[in-house]
Amino acid sequence: MNIMEVCGTHTAEISHCGIPGLLSENIHLISGPGCPVCVTVTDYIDKLTELSLAPGITVVTFGDMLRVMGKNQSLNDVKALGGQVRMVYSPMDTLKFAAADKTKTFVFAAVGFETTTPVYVMLLNEAIKHGITNIKILTSLKTMPAVIDWVCENQGNIDGFLAPGHVSTITGSDIFIPLAEKYQLPFAVAGFGGEQILEALYALVKCRGKAKVMNLYPSVVTAKGNEAAQEMVKKYFVPCDAAWRGIGVIAGSGMILRDEYAAFDAGSAELTADHIHNPKCRCAQVLTGAIKPTQCPLFGTECTPQAQQGACMVSTEGSCYNYFVNKRKA
Amino acid sequence: MKITMTHGSGGKATSDLIANIFAKHFQNPVLAKMEDSAVVPGAATLAITTDSFVVTPLFFNGGDIGKLAVCGTVNDLAVSGAVPKYLTCGFILEEGAETEDLEKIAVSMAETAEEAGVVIVAGDTKVVEGSGGIYINTSGVGFLADSCCVSAANCAEGDAVLLSGNLGDHHAAILSARMNIANTIQSDCAPLNDMTAALMKSGVRVKAMRDVTRGGLATVLNEFAAASQCCILLNEERIPVSEQVRGFCGILGLDPLYMGNEGKMVAVVAGEDAQKALNCMKNCKYGENAAVIGEVASGEAETVLLNTLIGGIRILTELYGEGLPRIC
Amino acid sequence: MCVAMPGKVLAVNENIAAVDFSGNIVEAQADLVSVEPGDYVLVHAGFILQKLSQEEGDTLAELFREIESYE
Repeated sequence: MNIMEVCGTHTAEISHCGIPGLLSENIHLISGPGCPVCVTVTDYIDKLTELSLAPGITVVTFGDMLRVMGKNQSLNDVKALGGQVRMVYSPMDTLKFAAADKTKTFVFAAVGFETTTPVYVMLLNEAIKHGITNIKILTSLKTMPAVIDWVCENQGNIDGFLAPGHVSTITGSDIFIPLAEKYQLPFAVAGFGGEQILEALYALVKCRGKAKVMNLYPSVVTAKGNEAAQEMVKKYFVPCDAAWRGIGVIAGSGMILRDEYAAFDAGSAELTADHIHNPKCRCAQVLTGAIKPTQCPLFGTECTPQAQQGACMVSTEGSCYNYFVNKRKA
Repeated sequence: MKITMTHGSGGKATSDLIANIFAKHFQNPVLAKMEDSAVVPGAATLAITTDSFVVTPLFFNGGDIGKLAVCGTVNDLAVSGAVPKYLTCGFILEEGAETEDLEKIAVSMAETAEEAGVVIVAGDTKVVEGSGGIYINTSGVGFLADSCCVSAANCAEGDAVLLSGNLGDHHAAILSARMNIANTIQSDCAPLNDMTAALMKSGVRVKAMRDVTRGGLATVLNEFAAASQCCILLNEERIPVSEQVRGFCGILGLDPLYMGNEGKMVAVVAGEDAQKALNCMKNCKYGENAAVIGEVASGEAETVLLNTLIGGIRILTELYGEGLPRIC
Repeated sequence: MCVAMPGKVLAVNENIAAVDFSGNIVEAQADLVSVEPGDYVLVHAGFILQKLSQEEGDTLAELFREIESYE
């Protein structure tokens, strides 16, 4: 039975707890495209590096984005050339920077899934509330259902999904029902402890072949999710077609700022091209679960955390990075 | 008063700085001679080490760059089985550094050196352009008994692995300051030479010792596994981490096994001596949370394995990447 | 990226909550979930995603009873 976890944090936890070794050989865990950094196309990084080198602009970002390669360079590379880049834990820090220095424009690298999009909503909400106009966001926001649909449609090798726990906190577990019914597959929404993941895997095995969505994280996930957050997201963002590294454009799989908030956008539309650095790199197939990291010819040889050939090795939630640092084989 | 390029010129300003800050606090007969070299009694076999300290902020919960500079070098000597004796310290000061800060650092170094029983016998000061940074290099010399044989290559199947206390405190203390997370986590910065001396005298067969600094426990044990061509097996539930540091790691997605410490050591001892070694560590000032965390097992060489809390096995590699910003 | 963990609300000042994670106090935005001191909340990137409910035990037991009956 092939079970896919779509959330990078689940991939990391599975390795962390040593779960693969506890499972029967007949259960194969496959990492899916749930790492927002890994699925970001080079066009997006190039736009960020360009912005960071422009006078009067500072790019603000989460840590993982710093090492991802654009066509020719990463944010870390341009920092060494004088690019203005700052790393934060919370995007809300951008407000503090903007208030402290009105001569600069601060652009936040807004990547993420449904868990993180509400955070960007709050950033803009607060900016508007306090009249802060020197903030923008460059978005590469993705949504889960469309890409899961793509995997099922184009690969058809998955027998069950370990559904993302924190995405579901916002969206509600019901978003997986149409997928479960279309493909007659079980979905188990799970938390992030080792035991919670094992429970979810057990439930998926028991329910194989059934169209069933199970919420195994009821302390934070409900069927409908955080509806207030969903409303706020709708206020600022609309669905759009989005480019996924390794997959290409998937219709309706992203979010972009509504026209009336265009003043806050740093040029997010049309960032769709993805440059492949090494023709032997198979990030595309790893991201969609078509192959395991260990099946990529570059894995562990030319491609390591110190000499990354593709995004899957760059992000600490990337499948390849995870397999490498934990020496996973399964 | 701010440091300027004149303080680094080698003239009066320099000698005043040395007299008023370094000589004043590092007082000892050797240094007082102010010769070009410190001439000191020695031993047949010496341990020598050097380390540089570039941490920011300079002052943090539980310590400062000066205390770090003394402990770091003392500990490298101590875990080699040596009795630390003499330290040198070189300062590189950026223009704009405050002499008040420098004096606080010197006082801290003097206090730590006294606790560790070492003497600072030589030093140097340079000033460069910049924005107020302070960097310290310390080199250290220790004496080794001829019979001493502690080495990363000595680990053998059946040996026990001990850790002297909680992981992650130093790293968390530094990061908390930088990321504005309020807590009471203190750096664990401390000299470990009393602990290593006690272990060496206790009759325990000590195979290897190392202090658990940058790269964390996982990196150090990988070094042992590689040098000894052995397999090390750890039990996650035995590894001590404070509740607060666990919470901190949870917020930022960090792993205590890869975090830096400045007052913790790992010791590999003969299996039968495990309890004796544990008692010895626990009786020392900085060993209250010491624990036996694993063993050298039969298995694939150069491998470190962790029995996880849910009963899985995880392979622990050395740290890849930078972990996080400079912490020592 | 979805790193989030449950903490306890200590105080709320307008839309900012002080949340305690085993002794680490972090400020988190409480705009989309109304919280009070004593509530347990899930925080992600400085933002409260959800309040923890006490649901867990019963719901899960019921679910497992159901799936045990399969095959």
